Amino acid sequence: MKHPYFLNRLLLLFSICLLFSFTTMAQTIRGKVTDAKTGEPLTGATVHLTQDGLSKFVAVNLNGAYSFKNLKNGPYKLQVNYVGYGPSKVKEGNITSASDVITVNVALQDADMQMTEIQVKAQANKESDGAVRSIEKNAPMVINVLSANTIKLLPDVTVANALQRVSGVTIQRSASGEGRYAIIRGMDQRYNSTLVNGIKIPSPDAQYRFVPMDIFPSEMLERLEVIKALTPSMEGDAIGGVMNLVMKSAPSQFTLSANVSGGFSTLFSSSRPFVGFSASPNSKSPAAINGNSYAATYADFSNKALASDKNISTPFSSTAGITIGDRFLNRKLGVIVSASYQNIYRGSNSKQLTPNAQPSAIPLPNSPQFSDAYDRTYSTQTERVGIHNKIDYAINNNNKISLYNLYIHQSEFESRFTSDTLGLGLNSTGLSKQITISNRSMLTKQSIYNSTLHGDHWLGNEWRLNWDGVYSEATRHQPDRTEFFYDANKTLNNSGAVTAEVDNNTQLDHHWENNRDKDISGYANLIYTPKIAGKDVEFSAGGLYRHKVRDADYITYSLTGGKSTLFNNNFNSIPFAFNSAADGIGANNPDLQNNYHVRENDNAEYLQVKFDLFPKLQVLGGVRIENTDLTYATQSPETVTQRSGNIKYTDVLPSIHLKYQLTDNQNIRASYYAAISRPGFGEQVPYKVTGEYYDQVGNPYLKHITADNYDVRYEFFPGGADQLLLGSFYKKIYNPIEYFVVRDGGPSSQVIKPQNDPGNATNYGFEALATKFFGVIGFSINYTYTHSRITTNKLLYSNDPTLGLQQTNVNETRPLQGQADHVGNASVLYKSAKLGLDMQLAFVYTGERLAQVSPYYNLDFYQHAYNQLDFSFEKTIAKRFSFYGKVNNITNAASKIYLKYPHGSLDAKQQEFLGKQDIAGQTLVQSDYYKTLFLGGFRYKL
Amino acid sequence: MKKYIIPVICILMAAAFSGCQKWKGEHMDIYSYTPPAANPVSDKAPLSCSSSGSTVIPVKGTMLTGKTYTVEDGCDLVINPTDTLLMQPGVTLNMGVGSSLIALGTLVSNGSKNQPNWITVPGIVKNDAPGGLTAAADPAYAGKWKGIIGGPTCNLLVLRWTHVEYAGLTEGKATSTIAGSGTGNQYSILFANYNGNFIMEDSWLYGGVDDPIRISAGKIAIFRNTFEKNGVSGGDCLNAKGGTVGTMAYNMFMGTATNGQKASNKGQATGAPQTNIVMYNNTFVSGGYRQVQSGRGGCINFEEGAAGMYYNNVAINCRFGYRVVGSPVADVAHLSYGNNYQWADSLSVANQFYPTGYITQPQSTDIPSITTSAKYLPANYTLGSIYDGSDVVQKNNPMFLNFPLPTVGHPLYQYSAIGNFNFHLLASSPLIGKGNTSIKPLITVPLDKIYGLSDATLPGTDLGAYQLNGSGNQH
Repeated sequence: MKHPYFLNRLLLLFSICLLFSFTTMAQTIRGKVTDAKTGEPLTGATVHLTQDGLSKFVAVNLNGAYSFKNLKNGPYKLQVNYVGYGPSKVKEGNITSASDVITVNVALQDADMQMTEIQVKAQANKESDGAVRSIEKNAPMVINVLSANTIKLLPDVTVANALQRVSGVTIQRSASGEGRYAIIRGMDQRYNSTLVNGIKIPSPDAQYRFVPMDIFPSEMLERLEVIKALTPSMEGDAIGGVMNLVMKSAPSQFTLSANVSGGFSTLFSSSRPFVGFSASPNSKSPAAINGNSYAATYADFSNKALASDKNISTPFSSTAGITIGDRFLNRKLGVIVSASYQNIYRGSNSKQLTPNAQPSAIPLPNSPQFSDAYDRTYSTQTERVGIHNKIDYAINNNNKISLYNLYIHQSEFESRFTSDTLGLGLNSTGLSKQITISNRSMLTKQSIYNSTLHGDHWLGNEWRLNWDGVYSEATRHQPDRTEFFYDANKTLNNSGAVTAEVDNNTQLDHHWENNRDKDISGYANLIYTPKIAGKDVEFSAGGLYRHKVRDADYITYSLTGGKSTLFNNNFNSIPFAFNSAADGIGANNPDLQNNYHVRENDNAEYLQVKFDLFPKLQVLGGVRIENTDLTYATQSPETVTQRSGNIKYTDVLPSIHLKYQLTDNQNIRASYYAAISRPGFGEQVPYKVTGEYYDQVGNPYLKHITADNYDVRYEFFPGGADQLLLGSFYKKIYNPIEYFVVRDGGPSSQVIKPQNDPGNATNYGFEALATKFFGVIGFSINYTYTHSRITTNKLLYSNDPTLGLQQTNVNETRPLQGQADHVGNASVLYKSAKLGLDMQLAFVYTGERLAQVSPYYNLDFYQHAYNQLDFSFEKTIAKRFSFYGKVNNITNAASKIYLKYPHGSLDAKQQEFLGKQDIAGQTLVQSDYYKTLFLGGFRYKL
Repeated sequence: MKKYIIPVICILMAAAFSGCQKWKGEHMDIYSYTPPAANPVSDKAPLSCSSSGSTVIPVKGTMLTGKTYTVEDGCDLVINPTDTLLMQPGVTLNMGVGSSLIALGTLVSNGSKNQPNWITVPGIVKNDAPGGLTAAADPAYAGKWKGIIGGPTCNLLVLRWTHVEYAGLTEGKATSTIAGSGTGNQYSILFANYNGNFIMEDSWLYGGVDDPIRISAGKIAIFRNTFEKNGVSGGDCLNAKGGTVGTMAYNMFMGTATNGQKASNKGQATGAPQTNIVMYNNTFVSGGYRQVQSGRGGCINFEEGAAGMYYNNVAINCRFGYRVVGSPVADVAHLSYGNNYQWADSLSVANQFYPTGYITQPQSTDIPSITTSAKYLPANYTLGSIYDGSDVVQKNNPMFLNFPLPTVGHPLYQYSAIGNFNFHLLASSPLIGKGNTSIKPLITVPLDKIYGLSDATLPGTDLGAYQLNGSGNQH
């Protein structure tokens, strides 16, 4: 146990910081701080006064004024800093008894200086587009930022959907069309990390480390940063990029804002109702309640999750949010509380052909074979509650601390109805059809809690220390997922009428799945800013330590319906029971390896230096060392190989970032950084989960992924919200983790297993982003071209003239999963302060992308190019009151998935069941329609 | 009358001749030295795992003639990859409830006609009378122990003159992980190494839960065995998947849940050959009635890329006839068949001689003849379509020694064990002399009296497992 020692160290440090004290003074310096260009008062800027080696700080007030009182006589130095602006020149002077009030006015250029790399902290209102432009411009690394103002006007209510507006980002959707994960520059979610206020948060995901981004309501954000190149001071596990959610911080004066809205999806109607259900009363499994040796019977289960299905023809979605903030105690104490509630009804209508695990070698090699043609309707109710609160307190001018708390909870009620009346597959014929229907009610509860205590200390002129103590918890519960299957054979006569029905299998599954991550971590950074050879040089050193514990449990109870009772839409009449009474015993659960405990201790240390090599060339470079130490233990019996293990690795991650300032408003950047991606827990623990087509198992022998990343970018910030960014990137990825089908014994036991591909992957492309306002009308466009390639071994099942049917391994080169060659956003904005009207029409284009990799050659699933058009507006209707609306997916765009196999070449029997096809050289296997979502409401802002 | 004279004389002469042989006699008793087994397995105490903390009992060496060995309940008897367990003739291995026998190395059960081996559960009383017990009450289907598993490193598994009984309990996590052969298995015998050899000759398999024998992949020779009461509510008795090559011949199946013999290329591993099974001279009686799903077959089945052939087989009152599947299609370009016999007590059986919806091609050598009548089969018959089989119900009585047809007194599904029945042919049987002897067995296993296949019986002139000349199935 290392962390108590660490906490002690923190405590010590903290106490030392509190020892700083200051002597009394006599005179006064005051003045105003303004923007050199616009003359605007720069509220919130920090004025730093040094006298006799002691430092004092004050914040600039609303009028742009500051003052230092009770100063001693003698020489002084004064400098002003403000996020997004360069530091002012050092003003030197001398206080004498004659000069009792000295006025020093400072005008800041929004140039030169950088925001601190350690953590982006904003004191003032940084929610405007102009403010984030200066962050993008002044940051030492490649970054894109969405401001709160931009997010507010977006048609999106979750962070995931807002992310698709960022240059180079595409999103992966859930079954109901809600964006869930972000793919940054063609690198899928495993390559990206999520920070809240610069602090990494654990994921509630059942298997992976990445965080579902739809859990965050977007209105809680002050800004959304997508950082595409890592500095040594940042955690190194982001090959694609980092999503940093900067939450609203305490304002400089009393703030109150609130909003409420309502809406509906046009998907639902009386003929296609939303199907809601009530959660099962059994939040814990029989084994969790009564112990693993308890033999459960049918009486232990409740079918409420299915039995309570209720049709609602037009469910009403609603959202509400409130933010209150103020500053107290002579502006030393700032508090903000923000709460958000969303209750959204969405869904989709899906048509899907389910491929057999194995294709056929006849008529063509790897001819897809379909076993079922499903019509599925999804109804999803998502309730999100988010509360966050930040308290910052300036102990004195040199010492500030803040406490941040975030709690987010999402309950997703998803009911899925599947009907299959076509009768595909091995045991169906023209006169005997095997049909499968299944209904599933699934409640997924996820939550994230984060509490961060942060301190900032100026230790004299040239030294600064900041630290964070963090506790985070992420949980996911799937209590009593209830699924009912009915598989029957219908016998038909020559005219196609059903003459008999035989129940092949009636099954009822009750499933519980829980995981919980707890992180305790500490961060500390020491910054030293001496002048060397007349130049400002900034050295930083620091590190982090994280102690993570993850516990997961997983159990499925499968009951059978006896096969004698036909299903007539009432499963309560079916006599369910365990096949054998022993199947009801928790200890007989075949998935014991899914009950696991993981302990991971990570620590990282870095050293970085920043200086201007030439007056206009800034260099930031350094190295980071990350140590990972993971131990896992499953509940598998002693005879199971891989039941427990320990995995350790160390990475040395150098990076260098060059920024050349062409002019005041133009930069050229070049950077290199090394990064890693750690395998997910569910990949590394020998886990086994049931997948859509194949079961998936973990692989303790997985190595982590490493990558070399190169970036160049040209930036032009003509002022205001306008910008032009042109960039290019190249990534070389080593030990990429890809999924392969391996035999797990028998023929029906082929499983998907993550493995390190022996070949390296490459990913390169370029990005362009332009925003330009012509008066009240603005245009924003971004486009990213990405080209990634990886060569992996695939199975080819073909008919060899001499050897007969053969399965061989062949290499196939393909893009990385999730990557689209062409991704773009275009929006037209109208912003008129005079009319109090803002409007935005936003269009997202995601080119064809690899949706799922097949183990078989040329049978990968590709998602066809997807366009979505959204509209939103906000109109001030009274002082402080506005009305706003959001319309999503105006054109009812469909998500379609194809196999690149000419559908005309499928065998005659399969042809009968294909459904409507629209591309000659491909086979449409899935189409999902979400329809249009409307939301309208009121906002109040004091 | 004349036509009977010669056979009758022949029979009389044969009887007289064999009688004379008995009297003649000569006795020799000459000493021969057999070195003692180097590693005899002790039978003093039960083979036990409970003191070891795990379920594993490693075993190797020799089980000696005449001895009885007992495996403790819940233990996995494991032959490690480089080890061999040889069971001499006359060994009884009593398996505990929930135990298993896992061969990661070599297992040879070398029983003999006079001294068969037994791998069984003691103390269970069989009731093999038709309708004597329901499937739910019959211990044959209860799955007392987990069966024999030839894992992915098992190079040789031989069962010769060996009774295997009452297996098929779900393997469970621990056992299936040790065996490395997939999870959720409920097989009596599983073999899963496409480079290994599975040989089963002159043996008996009684009872079972799912597929009684699952060949995930392997080189196989399955000759002259008897299968009874196999599969409780589904399961193909000999189910060969992708990467299985060899021969199934002279096997007798009674009351299998689904098919007696099935071949599929599903799950062919990279490096494994295409499934290719030669099946000949097998007899199937009352197959397919415990499979609740319809259309699944009752005797022989080829599907999903499997190649091979089936000739000289006999199917009596099976729920479905010989089935060739069209989607995913069997490798019909490399599949041949003919000289196969079927008998139907009832119209519903006759209507499925060529199962509805599948692509079995009627052959001119089939019995009953496909030109029996205008209804069987009609001129416009297309593969898998519905036809009227009324003209072939109860035609061509096979004249078994003791199995009266049509059956009386019991529904067809109740005929699940041989008991006192006898499926040897009477000399008057129409099955005699109808066999195709030009086909060849597909021998992929080593030929050896102990460590291989001792006798690859060639295709016989008479249809079914029992040849009038006494060759074929010896039970």
